[in-house]
This record gives sequence, structure tokens and C-alpha cells, in this order.
Amino acid sequence: MFFDFIKRNSRKTRKENGVYFASLIISIIAFYVILSLGEQDVMIYLKTVESDAVARLLLMIPMLYAVSLFFVFFLVYFANKYQLQLRNHEFGLYLMMGMKRSKLFAMIMGETLWNGLIALIIGIPVSLFLTELISLATSRLIGMGIIGHQFHISWVGLGLTVVGFILVQLVAMFILSFKMSRKEPVDLLNDQKEETQRILSPAWSIVSLLTGAVFLLGAIFLCIAYGLAILYLRSLDYKIFALILIVGIAGTFMLFRGLGSLIGAWIKRKSRSSTGLFVFTGRQLQENVLNQWGSLAISSLLILMAMVSFTYGISTALNNSDASSKTADFTFRGSEKEIVSVLKSEKLESYVKEFYAMKVGHFRTPDTENSENEAPSAFSWSGLLESISSEVKSQEKDILLSNLTARESPYLISLSSYNKLLSSINQSPIKLENDEVALYSDEEWSHSHGLLRSVLQSNPIVSIGEKQYKLTSKLYTSNVVADRAITLSYALIVPDDMYNALAYSSQDSYLLNMVLESNFVKEKGLMQAMYEVDELLKTFGLDYESYLSSMGRQLFYTVAGSYTTFYLGIMFLIIANTVLGLKFLMQQKSTRHRYSTVAMLGASVESLCSSARIQIWLYFGLVISVALISSIFGIWSLLETFPNSININNGTITIVISLILFVVFELCYIWMIQRKSDEEIKKLKEIG
Amino acid sequence: MRISDKLLQVKELHKTYGKGQSETSALKGITFDVLPGEFLGIMGASGSGKTTLLNCIATMLKPTSGNILLDGQNISSFKGSQLAKYRGSKIGYLFQNFELLDNLTARENIVLPLSIHGENPKNQVAKLQKLAKQLDIDDVLNKFPSQMSGGQKQRVAAARALISNPSIVLADEPTGALDTKNAKVLMEKLSSINHTDGATILMVTHDANAASFCSRILFIQDGVIFHELRKKVPGESQNSFYERILTVLAQLGGGSSNVL
Repeated sequence: MFFDFIKRNSRKTRKENGVYFASLIISIIAFYVILSLGEQDVMIYLKTVESDAVARLLLMIPMLYAVSLFFVFFLVYFANKYQLQLRNHEFGLYLMMGMKRSKLFAMIMGETLWNGLIALIIGIPVSLFLTELISLATSRLIGMGIIGHQFHISWVGLGLTVVGFILVQLVAMFILSFKMSRKEPVDLLNDQKEETQRILSPAWSIVSLLTGAVFLLGAIFLCIAYGLAILYLRSLDYKIFALILIVGIAGTFMLFRGLGSLIGAWIKRKSRSSTGLFVFTGRQLQENVLNQWGSLAISSLLILMAMVSFTYGISTALNNSDASSKTADFTFRGSEKEIVSVLKSEKLESYVKEFYAMKVGHFRTPDTENSENEAPSAFSWSGLLESISSEVKSQEKDILLSNLTARESPYLISLSSYNKLLSSINQSPIKLENDEVALYSDEEWSHSHGLLRSVLQSNPIVSIGEKQYKLTSKLYTSNVVADRAITLSYALIVPDDMYNALAYSSQDSYLLNMVLESNFVKEKGLMQAMYEVDELLKTFGLDYESYLSSMGRQLFYTVAGSYTTFYLGIMFLIIANTVLGLKFLMQQKSTRHRYSTVAMLGASVESLCSSARIQIWLYFGLVISVALISSIFGIWSLLETFPNSININNGTITIVISLILFVVFELCYIWMIQRKSDEEIKKLKEIG
Repeated sequence: MRISDKLLQVKELHKTYGKGQSETSALKGITFDVLPGEFLGIMGASGSGKTTLLNCIATMLKPTSGNILLDGQNISSFKGSQLAKYRGSKIGYLFQNFELLDNLTARENIVLPLSIHGENPKNQVAKLQKLAKQLDIDDVLNKFPSQMSGGQKQRVAAARALISNPSIVLADEPTGALDTKNAKVLMEKLSSINHTDGATILMVTHDANAASFCSRILFIQDGVIFHELRKKVPGESQNSFYERILTVLAQLGGGSSNVL
């Protein structure tokens, strides 16, 4: 009997708070999706190539989980606070009819549990389905037919989802019902009335003046935060970062605190000549803003965070397409004879298009003991350093200068082997004049490339031995090896005879690049082809690396980056919107009598509905527009801070996609809330 | 008397709640007329059907049978937009608990019916000022309900009921939530507006004091009109009318207590 009662009550709650219930289900899905990340096909594969990074990411997941638990707690707490407030009268009646407090408490907890259970029953199958879908989609997208797709259920993830979800709800409800249980029945019975008679600030004019100033101050604070973010965030100084955060958050809060009276002043100016429900609509909105400025500010900040997360996530996902450029497919290290014999073996021959030695060697410095008789030579970047020094002061410049001076002697690359590499990727070879050498720098040092390229235009001079050489005006960045067999910050590409004379390379640092047969790659797809050859090569026990791990690493950062940021973005967005929507609906419910009074004064149901719709648009619009303005600056400073991870060309696409996603999401929410609000107003129909 | 002289005609009004066994009749055939400029009181014990009667006239409730004609129009058959047109413009309301919107200022509350009916409140500034003066609420026009006393709130509500020059003002226990002093002030104001501007008022009340301001009183018991009192004009003092009301109430009370 008691259980039936609980079931009936919770059904009512679900029906009346569909939006909240839907958000609960979405948060369950989000929980499971993030917790089961480790069991996704992509991740299982990546564990084999990048086990360290994957392990680090998987360590981060509990943190993400904890953060989202906190936000869901926030959602559950606020949503239920208002729901319980609306039911206070009902609870007071139960008590007056002789229900024990403990039983009332058990009833509320029972309802929470029951609703939670139903949310789980709906949410878990959906999340299992969704993770499968994501897993399949990423596999297809990346062309990873390597590992057979398997249906995975992450039992740990499932367990944590259920436990976390139920726990958060129980804790939130425990706090709320504990607060409530200390109230006397009479307070509970009268509570609703108190709420509806909530007064606007009595010292109206003074307060409105003050809050107007607060609004201005908030706007100024926000502008300062925007400015700081764009100018100084790139230096990643935590003090500046903290300052931006504090000023920005304080500014947002103040802005919303002052907004209410601004709306009031506007209505006052307009009200004397307005017709229809303008004044009613405006005053309802104003009351919402005045009473809930805190939640509005939090929601606005959450939406801002969501926008920034989305942009970052989408740009990392898109950047995958122009991952680090491929030069060779495999690079071998070891004795030339052994490697060549393997590559020419029957098993492998058909896969190999070509192979060539990549001659990379250390410059012989004066103190290098060498048996051969050639005069040890001195090296200096002299001319290059001078040219760089004359550039305008910047952080890149300082880093570049210190990098170049730290290493007295550079690596040398033989021209013929680099030209072979260039021809294998269909680029024109380098032609060096007599007194010319070319500068090479690995893609990893790309932060300095802009500066280097501009400096190279003037063909600065480096001195090798007694002679001086001009640097060619082009900077070469195509990776000398397949992945990371050797990473060269700054090296010189020199003619072969000069290389032979000056370079020192030990036998075990012999490098050989191999390129796969193009027809084979075309037929199988790059990844699959490399994987197949990789499996074959394993049997020979050679020391080698492949572009596969480079791709894997790239893939990992893409997946990890976009997955986690998307996840956070969606969490933030859902919570912000649910809090906003619920607050609006609760206010509408608690001011029901106003709607019926206005109806009594002759307003039709349609005009009341449209008044509420306008309220919803403006209410969401205020929060969203502040968030959007902030996010313009947020994304701007994001682009400034991580220029490498966000390609500017992709920037516009990224922003457009995130905006479209965001707008669609918001429209869905607004539509949902409007439908709910219409329903509520039509309930008043007994008077129409 | 010509038909057109009658502002409100209530004919054979019946209202039953519920169905089958639980059916209860609240109104059992009530018929009366209201003339323009009249201040009509309706009195009766709790459950006598007076609130049902008022709600029917106020278009908040549909009668089971019978007609209500306002200015010759059968308002009991109105629906949707027709109803909305009448409410707030042809009919003004005064409620026991004021029903002011507490997030609107007094001025905004008062002109709300005008703007709802698409009229620019600017055109009615003179009317607003006149009413504010008559009801003595000049200095609270820019205040919110929470900053006013109960009496002021009800007078603001009265101004709202009168702003659109309605054919009739329906008042449901307007003094119910007021102390005696404020109740007296309100009734004096209403009665003076009734006298000077000829506003027609139909008031349901328990309060014999308030009823003594009326020009005619209908007593309702168990869904039918039980008695009617008219103030003798000219000559009868408010006090003697009050005495007569008390006598009828005593009879009413006696009657019902004998039955129960």
C-alpha cells in the first residue's frame, strides 16, 4: 500500500517534470559513455600503440566522473528543492493526518529511488546502444578494420554509473528532506503562500540605482576579463589565469544581479503606453531575473564552458585529417646488410616499393676524437643568430635563440638521402649551390617555424670550418624518419661530399626508410596495409618503427581530446539548460494565480501562452547571449593560446559547427519548456 | 419599466454540481434583475449558493440552465474570445483577496485591463487620475502591492475594476480581508462612486455593515431567493437599514438552525 503510494507519487513527479527526468536520463548516458571509454574499440587498439598516454587518460576519467557527479548533484539538488517546495503543502497535510516524520522521510526517499530506478532502466540500454554506435562509428571513420568489432559491456562503468547516480540523488534528497523535516506542519502548510507573496525589494529606487551601478560594474569586469584573456592567456601564467577567472566570474554574477532592475526601468518607461500583456510579460521576466540571478549567472558560465569545450573538441576532431605529414612508412635501424636482406626477401618484396638509407650524422666538433686525418672544424650559427636577433622581440624569438645557442654543433643530413625522401612524397628535390646549405627542422618545433621562415628570406649565413655558407630561403620540415627514430630540432641539409667529410655517424645509428607499394596501400587502406606488413616484420626481429604509431598517437590525442571535451560540453549544457528550464517552470507554477487573474481580466488563453513563450525566449536569450558574447572572447583566446592544436582554417568551420549544434540544442530545450508551459496554462482553462 | 432599462437579467438560473448520486443543486432557479446605477447586495449563509451565483454572473462558471443577460446579451452562452472580450471591459471584478499581481506596480495593475483589451493606457490617464483621487491612492501608484496596506490594495483593486467603465462591477466579499476601519473606507468610496458616477455594483457579502451601504439586498438560502430588502429612499438612515438587515439575518440564522 505504501509502495503503491510511492509509485503513484513518483509517476506524478515524472509527468510534471519531464524535462528534469529527461536530463537525469541523459546524465546516466553521459556517465556510462565516459566510464566505458577504456573499453571502446579505439581505445583497446590504442593501448597497444600508446599504452602510456592511454593509461594517463584513463587515470583522468575518474576525475571527469567526479566533476560530473558534482554537477549532477547540483542539478538534482536545485531541481528537487523547488519540487519539494511546491509539495510542501501536501507534506504538511500528510503530517497533520498523522503520518510520522520518519515515514514521510521514507516516502520521499522511496520516490527518489523509484524514479532513479526508472531513469536507469531507460538510460542504461540507451547508453549501451550509444557507446556501441560511437565505437562502430569511430572504427569506420578511422578505417580501422584491423580489430574485429566486439560488443563490450563495461561492467565497472555500469556499476559506477548506477552507484554514482543513485548516491548523488540520495545525498541531495537527504539534505533537502532533512531541512524540511525540521519545519513545523504549519510552516509547511503555509509555505506555498509565502512563496507566492514573495516581495520585490522595498527600498525600490535606491536598490535599483545601486543595482544599475552593479550592472555597469559587471559589464566593465567582463570586458577586463575579455581583454586579459586575449592579451595574456597565451603566456599560460597561472596568476593571470586566476585573475581572468575571478574577474570574469564576478563580472557575470554582477551583470545578472543588476540586470533585473535594468529590465524594471525599461518596463517603467514603456508601461504607460504599452498594450497587450507587455507589462505582465516584462514583470514576470524581471522577477525571474531578480530572484534567480545566481542561477542565471551559473547557467551562463556553464554554457560558456560548454561552448569553449565544443569548439576545442570539434577542432581536435577535424584536425585529425591533416595529421603530421607522412614521409616514410617504415624506418629501420641497425646493420644495412641485415635490413636489406629482409626487405628483399620473398615474403616482403612484393610489399616494398622502395627503400633508401637516411644519412643523418652528428657534426664533428673540434673535441671529437677521430681517427681520420681531416681537420676538425668549428661551427657557428652566427649569421642566422644575428638575423634572428634583429627580429622584433617575441617569446618565440627568445626560445629559438636559446635553443640554437644551447647546441653548438647541429646534425647534418645528406642531401641525396633527403632528396630521395622528397621524391618519394612527390616533392621537388633540393638543389644546392656551391656555398649553400638548407635548414631542416622537425614538425614538432613548428612554433618557431614562422619566425625561421621569415628570417630565411634574407639567406643568413652559417660558418662551417673556415667557410661560410648561405642558408636557402626554404625551410624543410618533412620528417626524416617514419616516426620518432630520431627527432632533429634544427639540422642542416648538406651536399653529400660535405656530409661525408663532416658527419660522424656510428654503425648502430644507421637508418633506412622504406615506402610501401602504392597499389597495395590503395587497395587495403594505409592503416590496414601498414598493419599487415607490421605483422610480417615482427617475425624478423628487426629494430624498426612505422608511421602506424605516429598515426596512433595522433588518433589518440584526437579521440581523447574530442571525446572528453565533448563529454564535458554536453554535461555543462544539459545542466545549465535544465536548471534554467526548471527554474522557469517552477516560477510559473508558483505564480499560477497571476495567470488566472490576468485571464479573469480578459486575457485569452492564447495570449497568456504567447506571453509565457516570450518570457521563455527572453529568459533563455539573456543567459545565452551573455554566454555567447563571453564565448566569442573565450574561443578567441583559445585560438591564441593553442594555435597549434586549432588550425585557423578549420577555425571558421569549427565555430560554425559548434554554433549550429548549440543552436539546435537550445531550440530543442526552449521548445520543450514552451510546450510544458502551454500545458500548465491550459490547465487554467476551467476559467476560459 | 422597459426591458432596455434592465442592465442585468438573471432568469431561472440552475446550477448542479456532480452527477448521479453525488449530484447537488447549488442554485435552484434564481430570477432577478439589476437596474443601471444600482448597488445590489447578495447575502446568505455559507453554502447558500451566493458565491455560485456570483461566479455564474462573472462567467467563471457555466450555469446548468437558465440565462444571464448583460445589456441584453446572453453572456452565459459565450465562449473563448467572446468571453475574454467581456471580462475586464464589460465586467469589473473585486475579489476578497484583492488578486493584485504582486510583481506589478499599482499603476500597472490598474491599467492592466485596458492594455489587455488593446487600449493604450495613455488615453485614459485622466480617468486613472480621477479614480486614484476618488479612491485616495494617489501616493501608492508607483508602489508594489507588498508595500501597501490591505485597504490600499483593495482600493487599487477597485480602481482596476472601474478603469474600463464596465457595465457592472462584481464584488466578492470585498471587505472580507480588511479590518473594520479599512472596510468602512472602502465601502464609503464604492458607494460614493456608485452615487456620483452611477456605477452599477453587485456585491456578495457576509458583512451586515458592508451590506448597509447597498440600495437593495437579496437574501439567498439553499439556492433560492429567500427575501429582499430595499433601502427606503429618501429618508432611511444607514443605521436603520443596518438594523433591518440584522433582523433578516437573525431570521435566516434562526431558520437554518431550526432545520439543522
